Amino acid sequence: MEEMLREYLPILVFLAVAAGLGIVLILAAVVLAVRNPDPEKVSAYECGFNAFDDARMKFDVRFYLVSILFIIFDLEIAFLFPWAVGFQDMSDTGFWSMMVFLAVLTIGFAYEWKKGALEWE
Amino acid sequence: MEQILLFAPLAGAVICGFGHRFIGEKAATVTATGLLFLSALLSWITFLGFDGTTETITIFRWIESGALSTDWAIRLDRLTAIMLIVITTVSSLVHLYSFGYMDHDPQWKDGESYKPRFFAYLSFFTFAMLMLVTSDNLVQMFFGWEGVGVASYLLIGFYYRKPSANAAAMKAFIVNRVGDFGFALGIFGLFFLTDSINLSEIFEAAPVLAETQLTFLWGEWNAANLLAVLLFIGAMGKSAQLILHTWLPDAMEGPTPVSALIHAATMVTAGVFLVCRMSPLIEFAPEAAAFITVLGACTAFFAATVGLVQTDIKRVIAYSTCSQLGYMFVAAGVGMYSAAMFHLFTHAFFKAMLFLGAGSVIHAMHHEQDMMNYGGLRKKIPYTFWAMMIGTLAITGVGIPLTHIGFAGFLSKDAIIESAFAGGSMFGFWALVIAAFMTSFYSWRLMFLTFYGKPRGDKHTHDHAHESPMVMLIPLGVLALGAVFSGMLWYNSFFGHADKVGKFYGIPVAEAATKGEVTLGTDSHGGLLHDAEEGDGEDHGAAKEAEHHYVFAGKPGEGALYFAPDNHVLDDAHAAPKWVKVSPFIAMLLGLALSFWFYIVNPSLPKRLAAAHQPLYLFLKNKWYFDELYDAIFVKPALAIGRFFWKRGDGNTIDGFLNGVAMGIVPFFTKLAGRAQSGFIFTYAFWMVLGIAALVTWMTIGGGAH
Amino acid sequence: MIQADLSVILPEIILAVYAMAALLLAVYTGKDKLAAVLVWSTAGLMAALGIWIGTNGGGTQEAFGGMFIDDGFARFAKVAILLSAAAVLLMGLEYMARRNMLRFEFPLLVALSAVGMMMMVSAGDLMALYMGLELQSLALYVIASMRRDSVKSTEAGLKYFVLGALSSGLLLYGASLVYGFAGTTKFAGIIQVAQHGEVSIGLLFGLVFLISGLAFKVSAVPFHMWTPDVYQGAPTPVTAFFASAPKMAAMGLFARVMHDAFGNAIGDWSQVVAVLSLLSMFVGAVAAIGQRDIKRLMAYSSIAHMGYALMGLASGTQMGVEAMLVYMAIYVSMNIGTFAFILMLQKDGQPITSIDALHQYSRREPGKALAMLVLLFSLAGVPPMLGFFGKLYVLRAAYEAGLAWLAIAGVVASVIGAFYYLRIVYYMYFGDEGEDLDRSNSPILWVFLMGSAAVMVFGIINMFGVDSAAAAAAAALVR
Repeated sequence: MEEMLREYLPILVFLAVAAGLGIVLILAAVVLAVRNPDPEKVSAYECGFNAFDDARMKFDVRFYLVSILFIIFDLEIAFLFPWAVGFQDMSDTGFWSMMVFLAVLTIGFAYEWKKGALEWE
Repeated sequence: MEQILLFAPLAGAVICGFGHRFIGEKAATVTATGLLFLSALLSWITFLGFDGTTETITIFRWIESGALSTDWAIRLDRLTAIMLIVITTVSSLVHLYSFGYMDHDPQWKDGESYKPRFFAYLSFFTFAMLMLVTSDNLVQMFFGWEGVGVASYLLIGFYYRKPSANAAAMKAFIVNRVGDFGFALGIFGLFFLTDSINLSEIFEAAPVLAETQLTFLWGEWNAANLLAVLLFIGAMGKSAQLILHTWLPDAMEGPTPVSALIHAATMVTAGVFLVCRMSPLIEFAPEAAAFITVLGACTAFFAATVGLVQTDIKRVIAYSTCSQLGYMFVAAGVGMYSAAMFHLFTHAFFKAMLFLGAGSVIHAMHHEQDMMNYGGLRKKIPYTFWAMMIGTLAITGVGIPLTHIGFAGFLSKDAIIESAFAGGSMFGFWALVIAAFMTSFYSWRLMFLTFYGKPRGDKHTHDHAHESPMVMLIPLGVLALGAVFSGMLWYNSFFGHADKVGKFYGIPVAEAATKGEVTLGTDSHGGLLHDAEEGDGEDHGAAKEAEHHYVFAGKPGEGALYFAPDNHVLDDAHAAPKWVKVSPFIAMLLGLALSFWFYIVNPSLPKRLAAAHQPLYLFLKNKWYFDELYDAIFVKPALAIGRFFWKRGDGNTIDGFLNGVAMGIVPFFTKLAGRAQSGFIFTYAFWMVLGIAALVTWMTIGGGAH
Repeated sequence: MIQADLSVILPEIILAVYAMAALLLAVYTGKDKLAAVLVWSTAGLMAALGIWIGTNGGGTQEAFGGMFIDDGFARFAKVAILLSAAAVLLMGLEYMARRNMLRFEFPLLVALSAVGMMMMVSAGDLMALYMGLELQSLALYVIASMRRDSVKSTEAGLKYFVLGALSSGLLLYGASLVYGFAGTTKFAGIIQVAQHGEVSIGLLFGLVFLISGLAFKVSAVPFHMWTPDVYQGAPTPVTAFFASAPKMAAMGLFARVMHDAFGNAIGDWSQVVAVLSLLSMFVGAVAAIGQRDIKRLMAYSSIAHMGYALMGLASGTQMGVEAMLVYMAIYVSMNIGTFAFILMLQKDGQPITSIDALHQYSRREPGKALAMLVLLFSLAGVPPMLGFFGKLYVLRAAYEAGLAWLAIAGVVASVIGAFYYLRIVYYMYFGDEGEDLDRSNSPILWVFLMGSAAVMVFGIINMFGVDSAAAAAAAALVR
């Protein structure tokens, strides 16, 4: 039991440092910052939208396009990461599997680029 | 050759029926007729060159289904050969005759094409009839049986604009269905018991059938008797025997050549043919044979009585046909199949001739059929008169008593009457003798009313009466030859001594020193016997039996007919007392005398007699009220039942139910389904979730969860 | 080892590599100008692959440790999928070209979905199953909404996508339950666990969810609601495609999962499938009566037909699978002809889908009307058309498996269903005065229509050997 708890000690330290740093930064802002409020400054930031508005409002479909394209490569990283970590013990099959995967992905990327999906206008 | 013989009429029917648009009416009808004459020629060659041995000619494999396995094959034996010549000869002559008779038929408008149809039907009928008589198994026979039924239906209803013709056609068809049902049951029974429908195999099994019991309807029956009776019911329908006879007089609605061919010479004799064909079975079914005898005798008597008072010339002959068929069945019933076939053979000639003669008269009188409007036609249509005279002499049985010289009917009818006596059926004997008397009366009545006396009826018609064209007279002439000579020529073959008959039919005979003792296995075939020239004198029969006596020794299925070892009718008939042999002749003379008195000497007498005995006259005039009786017992209730099922059963219940479902319930669900399909994605998802919830619940509670 | 695996999936690799190479080629050169060429080459490649698979190979090979199975069953399904996809691709060519909607992506998406379908019918593992299914579905979602400027097409694609995602979720949930209770995703492993009488409730739940997910793909009631909207909204060539190859693939996958993974628990799934079949037959038949749009009508028709195919599956016997395969093969061939006909319907260049336009059609186009009559009779199951024998097969299979009630219900449903097929025939031959449609002179469509009709008539002689191939395929699946 003792043993196990002791293993969690770094996390406790980490939590304490984080909490401390957070408090220090906030207090520093309170003490040092110039205070000159206006309505834009005090409202919550929500990616260009009003924070409190009709949820079904229309907005540009291109946001979706970008986010979908982003997610694909985001997930690619999630897939690559364990592969990279285990690279030392990788067989040839494993290596080439990822190469094929990346090739497929690259083809898709080349297609969307050429198709103009990455241009805003 | 047999194949050509058989299929030529079919080819004729097809070419004429379907091809007349391309080759023209004339060519079509001539082709059909030509093919039939070819068929007739080949038939005669077959008949004359036939040696009596049964042959089977396979045409193709037909049915292969479980134990039921059969070929389409021709069974060529004497019985078939006789039928072949009868059918093709009469048919070809009728074809020829029709060229004249059907010309300018008043039933049709100008320019309407009806002749090819008529000829095609005739040829088709001939083909079906040939199929019937040549078949070597019962199913093929049934095919022909139904084929002639269809052809008969089509031809009776040929004048389809006449409601009476349509009604008659339907009546013929429906009444025949009753008989066919019996026939079909008989076939089923035979197949059930013998596992075969091939005639030869059934014949071999006949002795076994005689010792088999079969449960049918409410009781146990002897199989042979039961099956024989069932087959005979089929024969009754086709041959218009009592109870199922009502269609035949009505069938006279068809054109007269049809009456001559189908309803006199060929189709109606199919029943007789069937009984003779099944002789191996009948021989083992004594009760059935007795039934056949009694029914035949009753029919002969009944039809003759009705014939006495009819005034329509065709109906008189129709009843006469019915009566003559009764004769044939009596012969078959007492076991003298050969005599039945003999009468069938001669009857075909003279009855066809009578009908064609009647047709000629009708033609001359512009389609007037009532004899009361005839009279004195002898001078106007002399050839027709002589033809009818020969026919009448033949049917009434004119000949020299106690010899073998006479018209065809004389020999064959006497053979039957003697057989009836010898067969021990006194009822049959007396019924036939009385019927012979009546036959003579009504036949002469027909002659006297038509050709003698003063012209009656429409004067204009009488003035324009004219002799028929040659195409109609030639067939009459040919048939006249048959009516005069066919009896004398083939007497020995049909009704001579056992060895002759045996040789003719290919039945093995054995020599017996004394009557009844049979030495089997000696001369196994008639052809090997030396010719015993006997039977030419009138002292045939018992006189010579000490020298050469032969008895039939065939097994069932050997030869065309089968005579059981204890069947001595042939010999007994030859040995019948002289008064028996003379009796039909006397009956004929009495009938002639009475008829002469009634219609020549004192023409007013019949009317007064009819008035004096009004009920009896009406009873006969209305054919014993059979039609009315059937109408009340069968037709009306059947219509009532039919109407009930139609209105209540079919209309209200079934249509109502289906309409209710189709027009009420289904559209309701359709609307429901349409509403469920809302177009909103959440509804769809909701249904999916609902579905899966239901499935999971079901599987948890009731399903296979354990 | 790896080379052996790769050789097993060579057809799939060829098709996938082709699709990607063509994509790059087209996008860097002529773009949509290459579309027609790509349609032809894709159809040609798929047809060639179909013939190759059909004539080569025998026995059963497994690849990737049993995740991919190449057996007679898979080959039968693949041949049907590839050939029908190729046929439908060609059929749509002219229609799309004329309406300026022919994109070069269309043939390639069809090819990719075909790869997915081939994967599906060969799946030997829940993971492989899901992978094939999603590859197929994603391609289908895209082509459903290919007409981006059409509200209906977009709506069709969206509905299909959302509901498809839901069904995928159900399927995945089922798969995870099965994995949880069986301890493996391999079919060969699941079948060991799922012995009859010992199916744990968790496994049963997983099974039901799996069936639900698959039922969505075959559009069985009550998971069918997407079908009419998508069929109607999607461009007609796409609808034709939806109604053929993916149905075959989904049924193949259905049979594969049921027999390979749960072949020892037939009693458990057979009743579920039977109920789905029953509902599909009746809902398909009844709801179609109210339709005036022929594409929507064909959607319900396809629902009803899937009901019959499921009846074969529900019997749980080798004969049942055989019947199902025969039925599907016949169904796909009928559909190709029917959609060829629908593609030909147009007036002033605009596609017509209302069945009211067919009034007196036989007067104007007797040949096509006759072919359509044959096809409709076949769809309705009127003897002696081939469709009748398809029904006869499944009914017999169901009856012999003791599902007489289902067989009787099938007959009743087919009577109801005959109504709307025959109504079209009625319109074509005895209808009121109709409008004048354009005379289509597309030889491709004509050939497919006439060929399909001819198959329905002459197929009854020996079914072109499909029945024996199906028997062999069924024998490979049901052991």
